[in-house]
Amino acid sequence: MATSPPSTHSVGVSVPRTDGTAKVTGSARYIDDLPGMPGEIFGRTLRSTVPRGVLRGIRLDPSFDWSDVTVVEARDIPVNAILMISEEQPVLAEGKILHAYEPVALIACPDRLKLDRAARAITLDIEPLPAILDIDTALAGKDVIWGEDNVFKRYLITKGRGDAEGRAASEAGIDAALAACDVVVSGRYETHHQEQLYIEPQGFVAFWDDAGVHVTGSLQCPYYVHKVLKRALDLSSERVHVTQAVTGGGFGGKEEYPSIIALHAALLARKSRRPVRMIYDRTEDIEATTKRHPAIVEITTGCDRDGTLRALKARILMDGGAYMTLTPVVLSRGTLHAAGAYRWQDAFIESVAVATNTPPNGAFRGFGAPQTIWAIERHMDRIARAIGKDPVALRAQNLLRSGDTTATGQTLGLSVGGHACLEAALAESGYHEKRAAGPAVNGRVARGIGASVFMHGAGFTGSGERMLKGKVAIDLLPGGRLQIRTASTDIGQGTETVFRQIAADAAGIPVTHVDFAVPSTTVVPDSGPTVASRTVMVVGAIVEGASREIAERVLAEQAAGGGSFTEAGDRLLSREREVSCLKVYEPPSFIQWDDTTYKGDAYPCFAWACDIAEVEVDLDTFEVTVKNFWSATDVGKAIHPVMCKGQIEGGTLQAIGWALCEEVVWKEGLIKNPRMTNYIIPTSLDAPPFHTTLIEEPWPYGPGGGAKGIGELPMDGGAPALAAAIEHATGLIADSLPMTPERLHTLARTA
Amino acid sequence: MSVSDLRLFEMRRPADLPDVCAVLAERVSRSEPTVLLAGGTDWLVEQETRPAFAKEAALPLVLDVSRLPALRGITLDGDRLRIGAAATYLDMRRDPAVLARAPMLERMGRDIGAIQIQARGTLGGNLATASPAADGVTALAAYDATLVVHSVRGERRIPFASLQTAYKRSTRAADEVIVAVEIDLPPAGSPWIWRKVGTRRAQSISKVALAGVAVREGDRLTRLGLGMASVAPVTALLSRVRTLATSRPLRDLTAADIDAAVDADVSPIDDIRSTRDYRAHCARSVVRAFLRDLGAPV
Repeated sequence: MATSPPSTHSVGVSVPRTDGTAKVTGSARYIDDLPGMPGEIFGRTLRSTVPRGVLRGIRLDPSFDWSDVTVVEARDIPVNAILMISEEQPVLAEGKILHAYEPVALIACPDRLKLDRAARAITLDIEPLPAILDIDTALAGKDVIWGEDNVFKRYLITKGRGDAEGRAASEAGIDAALAACDVVVSGRYETHHQEQLYIEPQGFVAFWDDAGVHVTGSLQCPYYVHKVLKRALDLSSERVHVTQAVTGGGFGGKEEYPSIIALHAALLARKSRRPVRMIYDRTEDIEATTKRHPAIVEITTGCDRDGTLRALKARILMDGGAYMTLTPVVLSRGTLHAAGAYRWQDAFIESVAVATNTPPNGAFRGFGAPQTIWAIERHMDRIARAIGKDPVALRAQNLLRSGDTTATGQTLGLSVGGHACLEAALAESGYHEKRAAGPAVNGRVARGIGASVFMHGAGFTGSGERMLKGKVAIDLLPGGRLQIRTASTDIGQGTETVFRQIAADAAGIPVTHVDFAVPSTTVVPDSGPTVASRTVMVVGAIVEGASREIAERVLAEQAAGGGSFTEAGDRLLSREREVSCLKVYEPPSFIQWDDTTYKGDAYPCFAWACDIAEVEVDLDTFEVTVKNFWSATDVGKAIHPVMCKGQIEGGTLQAIGWALCEEVVWKEGLIKNPRMTNYIIPTSLDAPPFHTTLIEEPWPYGPGGGAKGIGELPMDGGAPALAAAIEHATGLIADSLPMTPERLHTLARTA
Repeated sequence: MSVSDLRLFEMRRPADLPDVCAVLAERVSRSEPTVLLAGGTDWLVEQETRPAFAKEAALPLVLDVSRLPALRGITLDGDRLRIGAAATYLDMRRDPAVLARAPMLERMGRDIGAIQIQARGTLGGNLATASPAADGVTALAAYDATLVVHSVRGERRIPFASLQTAYKRSTRAADEVIVAVEIDLPPAGSPWIWRKVGTRRAQSISKVALAGVAVREGDRLTRLGLGMASVAPVTALLSRVRTLATSRPLRDLTAADIDAAVDADVSPIDDIRSTRDYRAHCARSVVRAFLRDLGAPV
């Protein structure tokens, strides 16, 4: 008798995390926990101490014993280029220095204490040059460090009367549209650097053998590292082997940089012919690795007296740092989110990313969107002030609904949950009552409440997924088990658990019957990078499709030959030896995007949210305490509700840190606070009570019954909600981040 | 930093206080580097942040004094509270005498680092480091505590007011071991304040912190002790504020007079943690708040 597969429903259930026990008990082995290989030596990077200069030479003290020290300089590198979007960033500086902490030479030695002494026995002969340290100086263009005008990338989005032939005509069109509006409001909004501060610093171990180069380390995107190593070491694909170790957080900070440290370790291993371990300490990690792009956003809007939004003109400036890295993509996502979650008839949004002599900025959760959403949400509060309307009512009036078109002309169809989120968060928080009552002042402490509403594009921008063709392999294993092979990594966010749930339900087997292969480029196909809120929605959909195909083959065997699912699977395996499905992602066919005009479906769908913050501000010291934080988020479908809420609450806490206390302190291009004791992130005691509501407006093309990507979304709305709450409590209007007590004090003095 | 990056050092656990004093005297006379280790919460941080050139200094001797009975224990004798130099902040927070008679110390202890640091950090260690940002030392300043130190020359008592001389410098000799601090307590139930303005709610170094104890009789303060962290090269004693507030009835104090006294008592700076202007503002605000609570119309 043929039996149907065991009935299992793990999607929607918060099953135990499969990596949980090892991490909680301490048995999980991160890269620096892995035992040393025979003959292993330690590597270290020598870096520039000035933000800009001419590298005249590298001098080794002749009185030092260099016999067991390996030194790698630029001339030792087959191709001195890091291949990302462009390849102008050298692996090691050659001739010119473009930022402080730029790698200049590498050394390795078996004795770590001697490695310290060797570092001091090397003199970098650098002639300093005047440095460009901010966006305005870069744009002024008096001194050029990139191309002809210090500009990495520009974008322009136009719509309605802002859409004409050429930039000048488009600008004239939007200006005319603005001039015809009842109420015109302008504002300028600034955001600052943010360090990812994953708990585990970056680290790699590299060695060579007959098969080529092997690197294992803390990373998000194995195939990014693979691509960079292949190019710089001038190797064929099959001679590069990249493996992820257990990774203690990434947040985008382990998207680009692991390629660099892996390559450094590989170069030292190549020259020394020994395995090389490179582990950054916290200070080196903060100083050298990428951060969130600082931004300046200028917005002018026109609306009717009743608050109906009409025209939007925005100019976005981002500081890319010294090399391009991923800046064009960050700028793109920032530009595509600059219109916020609102309807505009007419739009003109231009953006520019410039080069400065600061360490390259890069990927960080939200990827440009938190910067522009901060601006548009603060601007919505400014409009509300100008027309005397409640800020939430203004948002509700203009919030995009199904059938509306975005600034890129994308018509929203399915899974548009903005209004549902807004209503849920308002009801849960008692916003209207608290707002109407005015700020509650108790002695020298004032309490206020504020809101933000936002959407975040899930998955790669535009035609990204179509070009990328992400792949996943599912193998049938003996005993009715499945194995998932994917390059989408678990960096603490729960990928391996959630993928198991999706595969289990698709195949109709228990979640405990699904294995997750260690992500190594030698065994897993290229699923694309672990970024862009795409892991569950896009890669999860491939996992689901491939698992279903395998299950169908087993079920067919079962129908033909009987027995249980396990017995049928084992029969199939013994007959065919290998039962696998390699599946390629197919985006929904109606998604159409034009990269040249920046028009069309910017993202397959959006996740939506409303954040409401309640704060207390000490009127003497301007310390802000977040008393409550409500968030209602349209996630499509929560595969694992506890981890889904965990993403939202963790991302929100990261947003609270960015808004209230995190600040990279710069002095002449150098970072003055590269330590956990003085780069201030919130602790668990600073975390407010979170009241998180999951709204499920399913996206039919997502796995598990409609999941959307929500990894980045929670970083977007915290800062503007907090600013609105501080404004409600104190009347202080902050348009720049961070809102530290010192800055609020300055605002109060100058108000 | 990992443990393997720690420079080599020799560690000893002396048998008793005379042993510590003898070893210390001998080492100091030969200018050999010696560290008295209690909780290690300052020393371990210094190992990481010390300049690179210091890494190959002569092999230091680390004397673990954390378990010496002479340095442990908290005792109350009449109105005199004695806290062993190696008693931890957590010991202090849990001590019945502290809870009953010196609640400001308990409250301050909650703001030290986080619970893990409180379980290791000691008043003696913070006094030895002599950082003007140390919360525990700030509280002792408000109590006008007395340091009890021992050396081969015997016991010496150092009033708090004559302890600190400059940034991280004190009048304690290099061969003197801090054994205890003694506090002459105000009557039970006397008003006090501990107000820390930090960077966050835990693992935070003070931008400004105010410790205060007072004895009030009618409309007058008959005793006022104040200490303030992070507003001067040494722990600020706010002597002008003390003089002002004890020299006239509380009702005659004005905000302007208090602010002027605070401004004269502190000399904050800009650094990576905060700004001069903000610190000066907070210093005035928290002092006014304490005097307001005591009854001044400010």
